Order: sequence, then structure tokens, then C-alpha cells
Amino acid sequence: MPSYEYRGQQINISDADTEYKGYFEAAAEHRLVVKKCLDCGLLRGEPGPGCPWCTSLQWEWNQVSGKGTIYSYQIVAHTVVPSFRDWAPFAIVLVELDEQSGQPDQYDGLRITANLVDENMEPEKEENVAIGKRVEVAFLDGEDGFTLPQFRLIDEPPKGTVWQHQI
Amino acid sequence: MNTSLRGKYCIAGVGETEFSRGSGRTTRAMGAEAIRNAMNDAGLKPGDVDGMLSYHGGDSTPSTSIMYDLGLRPNFYMDCSGGGSSTEALVGLAMGAIEAGMCDTVAIFRSMNGYSQMRIGGTGVRAASPITGIDLMKRPYGLISAVQQFSFTFTRHMMEYGVKNEDLAHIKVAHSNHASNNPKALMKQRVTVEDVMNSRWIIRPVAHLLDCCLETDNATCVIVTSSERAKDLKQKPVYILGVQGRGTKPGGDFHYQHGPASRVAGYYVGPRVFELAGVTHDDVDVTGCYDAFTYTALLQFEDYGWCEKGEGKDYVKSGTINLGGRRPNNTSGGHLCEAYTHGMNMVIENVRQLRGTVDDYCPQALEGIHTYDYSEGHCRQVRNAEVSMNMGWGTPAVGSSLIMRR
Repeated sequence: MPSYEYRGQQINISDADTEYKGYFEAAAEHRLVVKKCLDCGLLRGEPGPGCPWCTSLQWEWNQVSGKGTIYSYQIVAHTVVPSFRDWAPFAIVLVELDEQSGQPDQYDGLRITANLVDENMEPEKEENVAIGKRVEVAFLDGEDGFTLPQFRLIDEPPKGTVWQHQI
Repeated sequence: MNTSLRGKYCIAGVGETEFSRGSGRTTRAMGAEAIRNAMNDAGLKPGDVDGMLSYHGGDSTPSTSIMYDLGLRPNFYMDCSGGGSSTEALVGLAMGAIEAGMCDTVAIFRSMNGYSQMRIGGTGVRAASPITGIDLMKRPYGLISAVQQFSFTFTRHMMEYGVKNEDLAHIKVAHSNHASNNPKALMKQRVTVEDVMNSRWIIRPVAHLLDCCLETDNATCVIVTSSERAKDLKQKPVYILGVQGRGTKPGGDFHYQHGPASRVAGYYVGPRVFELAGVTHDDVDVTGCYDAFTYTALLQFEDYGWCEKGEGKDYVKSGTINLGGRRPNNTSGGHLCEAYTHGMNMVIENVRQLRGTVDDYCPQALEGIHTYDYSEGHCRQVRNAEVSMNMGWGTPAVGSSLIMRR
């Protein structure tokens, strides 16, 4: 079983992992992928084995643009993970990808979690974190072959309501 | 919907251990004590309890060990993986097991060293374990603790409905006032909105330290039996009118793929439990709304329909949820101030409320004589409480509810 280390945490991705292994293999090639149903054609943000809309078990990995919008976020002021202490306060964002936004239901979207980082792969400043801001995937390569998809702000007009908490 | 069991089953006994931060003993020892206390409360002997149910997260002791410690020989037992919102659901499963003829009386327990062993807050063992499976999409980003896992829901809610973090503090204030009249509570000190706002931030913009529950070592137990069986037991039965759970949002663990993100499972659970119980919101005198964090309580108040969506901030400031108000919530102090027990202490509290024998500081509390003086260090009995409602929270996507009548 491939085992990696990232920020002092042991990451085990089993050879038999039918959900996430392909996701991280693609990330190592700097491609962001989601699963696509081979029957109804819908994408799904969580790489599960079945299609939430048609129950089909037939799927393929599908590369997406890597662009999206901050849908929600949290600023971790106090972390319970010792190896993240030097990072706090840092942002964790829930990013809604551009593909299939509001489809097939108006509340649906492909939403994935990541840190919001700056050009140096360090935590983005808190005052720059807001719902509605546009972001793009950035791949953080570890030394042992593990690559973690992260997101960065991009210079595009925001999408929908822009909201941030008072700092 | 099958309403034929309404009132046919009851809670006959309740019990718990001391709430502590450092129990110095095993979950087995605590589990045995909590079940024994509930049996004594009900007036049940070992031969009378022939069913056991428990829930755990790999941090408890199985029924098959504890049955030995109390001389029980169950005809039915099951240890379920679970957490918040499991208590209510297991009350329903206990009724089902009895109805199916599998047993007659069921002890439901939860035992956890949630502070000194497997810390509920995510530090220690939980943060040190290797990352696999669905955690691969979260823990590499520093996303691990419960307050974090649920927080995207409330950040969205703040945006959509204009709720401020300060609004949440009123929930902590109310529950701390209640806890000040609870000798068992871990945190009895009354706090102010300023105290909450001045406590250190944990996760912005949703939770300061005092918006979070108290990691606790404890065990809790409730005993379910038929109302017929309970007639000759020690306590007045508290009848189960309706129970639902664990009901879910679309998507389960991956509910953020669907939405609306600011909606929680109570939206689906609420209408069903009211219909099953045959009561309305107006009939309910006391609530137990799961307060893992102040925001979990606010979200549930809205989606269970105690107020309109977005008006939870007014509901929690209106005095309604305070002792002396129309419908006090978590009169024991709840998870925020009494102890974090994965929900069972809130059911136990409501059983005692409906009996009229809440264990407050009134000298004759256990005989049902109360002063109704809700100032610090006195009474927490709700006057003439007839109907209670519990609203258990597992995650934003998972919830349970239990409506009981005296």
C-alpha cells in the first residue's frame, strides 16, 4: 500500500482504493479529475462507486478545468493537528467547480475541500478569503510523490454574492 | 405512518455516572455504573433487563462484557456504531425489538472517556491515526474536528440569513444559566455574551471556545419497556409518543454535493416526528436541542420549525429557550455546560423534567417539590411540564427526534 507523509501526517492510499487512488494519481500529473457516469453522463464531486442520479456503477475519470468559486469556508484559528500549528490561522475552503454548477438540481454542484493558498503555497491572508471569489487549482507536490490539490485566488470577477465575516 | 405504538412504550429508568475530566477508570466500569443506576432508578433487578443497546465510535466497551458485570442475560443486544442522534434512534429500535418479541426491557447506554482517552475534540489518538478513505479529502487540509466538519453549513447560513456570531452566544448564556442550577454540571458558572465573544477563536466565523461543548468522561443510560410493564415499577412512566431517526439529508456524508448547504436533517425529521406523536409545536413545554456547538442548536431550531428559517437568531434571544420562558431548551446545561455525552444526557434531563423530579438545588427536588426560583444555585424544574421534544444531531445531514409525554 502506498504510504506518504504530509505535514507530519501519514497518508495511506490502498491499491484497492476504488474511490480516491485515481484522484491522487491524476493530481500527481497535475490534473484535477472527477468521476463521470458512463450511463447518464453526469459528473459527481465525490468520487464514489455509484451514480447518485441513475445508480450506474460504470464510470470514468474526467478532467475538469480546475476553476471554481468559493462556496463556503472556515478560518482555522486553533487547530487540533500539531503539525498545522505553524500554519494557523489558515483557510479551508469548499470550492464549487465551474462544471455542472447548479445541475441537475439548483442546489447541486461539484464541491471539493482544500486550503486556500497564496503563490508560495502558504495560507492566503484571512482578509482575502470570501464566498464568491474565483479560484483555480494549484498542485502542491510532496517529496515522496504525493501531490495535494490546493486552490488559489485568481483575478476574475466574483460569481454570485460576495460575503466574508467581519475581521 | 404507523401511529399504533404511540404511548405504548415508555422510559422507565434513567441513570448516569459522574461527569468528569479524568474518570480514572474504564468505559466498562462507567457503563456498568450508569446501567445499574438506571436499573435502580426504575426498580428493576438484573433478571428484569433482557435487552441491551449501545452506540460507540470504537471508544466504548461492548454489551457482552458489561452484561457480565451486572448479571444480565439479554435475549437481545446490539452495539451500534454511532454518535450524536443515536440515543433517540435507539429508543425506537428498542421499541421495535420489544414489539418483535425479541425481549421485554432494554437498557440503552453510551460510555466514553471523551476527555481522557479518545478525545471527542479530535486531538490525540484521532489526529495521530493514518489518513485513509474519505478522510483523504479532508484531513490533509487540516480538517478533522467536528466543529470544522459542520462549519461550512453555518458559514453559508451566516451569508444567506445575516446571522452574526454574537447571536449564537445567547444560546451559551441560556444553557450556562440552566447549568448553574445543576449540581452535576461540569461548567456551572454563568457566562455573558461578552464572555463568549472574548473567549479565544476556534473556527472563524462560527465558533469561539465557549461556543463549543465540553469533552467529558461519562456513561449514560435510559431503559425502555412497555407502558404495561412499567405500571408496577418505581417511577412514573414517561411515555414515548413518537421517535424518528437517524434521518438524513440527500448525500449523507457528502451532503455538500447537494444542498441547500444551510439546511440540516431536522428539516426532514421534524414533520414526521410531530405527525407520529400527534402533537404540535405548541404542545411542547421543554426541548433538548443538540448543542455540540451553539450553531448546531440554532440550525435545528429553524429546521424543526420553532421559528422561520433565518429567524433562529431572534428565537434564541427572545427568552423562549430560557428557564422561565415559554419552552426552555437543555435545562441541564446540555452539551455546552453539563457534559458532552453524545446526546443521552438531554433525553435523561427531559425524562426527569416530565417526572417533575429534576435534580436541582431545591431541598425536596426528588419528591417533586420545587421553588421555581431560577436564579443561580436554585431551581431548574419547568413548571407543569407535560410534553418534551429532543432533537439529536449527528452531522448537518443526520438527525433524530423523540417526543415524550408524562
